[in-house]
Amino acid sequence: MCRCCPGLNRRSLLAGGAAAAAALTTGRAEARILPKDMVPLIGPGFRPVDKDEQGIWQLMDRAEEEIAGSNLLITDPRLTLYLKEIIGRVGGPAAKDFRIYLAHIPDFNAMMFPTGFAVVFSGLLLRMRNEAQLAGVIAHESGHFLRRHQIRSWRDQRRKTDIFSIAAMAAGVGGAGAGVYLGDYVQLAQLGTLLSLFQYSREMEAEADAMGARLIAEAGYEPTEMSAIWQQLIGEETASARYRRKHRRRGSLFDTHPSEPARMADLKIDAEEVRQTGRTYEVGKERYLATIAGIRPTLLDDQVKLNDPGASQYLIETLAQDGWNGLLRYYEGEVWRLRNRRGDDVRAGQSYAAAVGYPDAPADAWRWHGISLMKAGRGAEAKSAFARYLTMKPDAADAAWVRQMIG
Amino acid sequence: MKLARKFALLAGLSLLPACSTIGAGDYGYSSYALVEVRPRAVGDGSLTVTPPRPYNRHRSILWQDVGDVEDWTQNGPYLDGISFVSGLKSGRYLVRQSKRADQQVPKFRSDMTPPEIAAMLESLYRVRGGAVEFRTLSLQPRPFLGTNGFQLDYEHLDSDECGARAGRSAPSSTASFT
Repeated sequence: MCRCCPGLNRRSLLAGGAAAAAALTTGRAEARILPKDMVPLIGPGFRPVDKDEQGIWQLMDRAEEEIAGSNLLITDPRLTLYLKEIIGRVGGPAAKDFRIYLAHIPDFNAMMFPTGFAVVFSGLLLRMRNEAQLAGVIAHESGHFLRRHQIRSWRDQRRKTDIFSIAAMAAGVGGAGAGVYLGDYVQLAQLGTLLSLFQYSREMEAEADAMGARLIAEAGYEPTEMSAIWQQLIGEETASARYRRKHRRRGSLFDTHPSEPARMADLKIDAEEVRQTGRTYEVGKERYLATIAGIRPTLLDDQVKLNDPGASQYLIETLAQDGWNGLLRYYEGEVWRLRNRRGDDVRAGQSYAAAVGYPDAPADAWRWHGISLMKAGRGAEAKSAFARYLTMKPDAADAAWVRQMIG
Repeated sequence: MKLARKFALLAGLSLLPACSTIGAGDYGYSSYALVEVRPRAVGDGSLTVTPPRPYNRHRSILWQDVGDVEDWTQNGPYLDGISFVSGLKSGRYLVRQSKRADQQVPKFRSDMTPPEIAAMLESLYRVRGGAVEFRTLSLQPRPFLGTNGFQLDYEHLDSDECGARAGRSAPSSTASFT
């Protein structure tokens, strides 16, 4: 849900000065946007006719070429087809025009570009618990395109002040050029400058939420799942902040996004408004879990190895609400091991031991189980665990070291 | 048994030559110093290295603000580099970091096994280096500095899309059992 925007926008606003900031926030919507009012502003096969929009499309076509060739993309045909099918289902009148890419970046993020191509981050797939939630995020992004938010935003910003535009561009370039991972897509293809020109206002985000709720309900997805996304996000951010003994960041005057609690509340009301009596709505949990099963270990790996214990543990426990398994227990152990506080080695060892009790325990769980046993002085059991690891993964990169441990 | 007290690590990385150099100036690599071909103490001074050819010592990219670390490059840090970590004490970190940062490089402990040290390095690259993919190619025992060490070969893909960077580390805990 384009969560990259607040960070960028804050930087832009700070660089642009208080006057520009005040101008930008005057568009804040006080009244709730109603799903019934959210009609698409474009039809199938839309092409721009105005000169400024045509120019943007030319730039974005080049950007899409770069993104399509990026080595950060996950090109697994099953996953990409799955995303394409979902956007084809919740994309409204532009469903057949959308393109969608999956980027290997462990963040909760997705974004829609002005020409109708969307980028979904792999971290989003980790956090979604069912197809309805994923469809909700994609529908939200589709809403930005269907409501023509990008060109409206571009014209709005140009109208306000050239100083702000320049400052925003500078902030974008700075972010892209810093060479340090910023947790968003601005670095990819050096798009910071371009993306910074399409900051959505709070009103636009609220529109996209309402439009998204309407789109997924029309497609037959359970509309309440959109608010569940925000509930999970709030929980994750709170857990992460609490662990580091700080407060979760809350919406401020400088945020162009509505705060997450406000979005969650509005989306709950939206869900009731778009629901039709007598119609059944699907969640699509089994289909979702089956589709991402192959990539889920990678998604968990990406998250846990960032060593953000509060967020990772919250995520694992959230996913475990659908049932613990060997994979989740193993990564629970990894959270403790990387946290590495007093007693965490014991906690990690318990999790590894629990993990290998499940038939789906990954090979790495046996390796770490063995290391944990070895450090606890239980050599014979450790060797047995190592042997099991090598049986499951005979070509393991560390096979030589493990064999040395077995002796 | 007293646990190992010190840790020495040699880590190198090489990049594909087609990488963009955008932002290189933003790092402020102003403190280059020539490393001549002769024995030279590195890191905390407990390790002496004789380079086969001249190198440039430069300010750190990943291993920030830790006195026990020293970084060299031949063609610039975007293209190649070698880092020396020596004398890192148990309970310390490879980098200086805020206790309140959401994502943190794990703490080093002197009783870490090679896979644990490899995992610590992986998190370093992910948390500080922007790696979105990290692949261990090989982890095998190897004598290092006259004691039991290991060699870790790896590659990582960073969010700057610079192609897969290859790396090799040869850590060793200079264990002192008493």
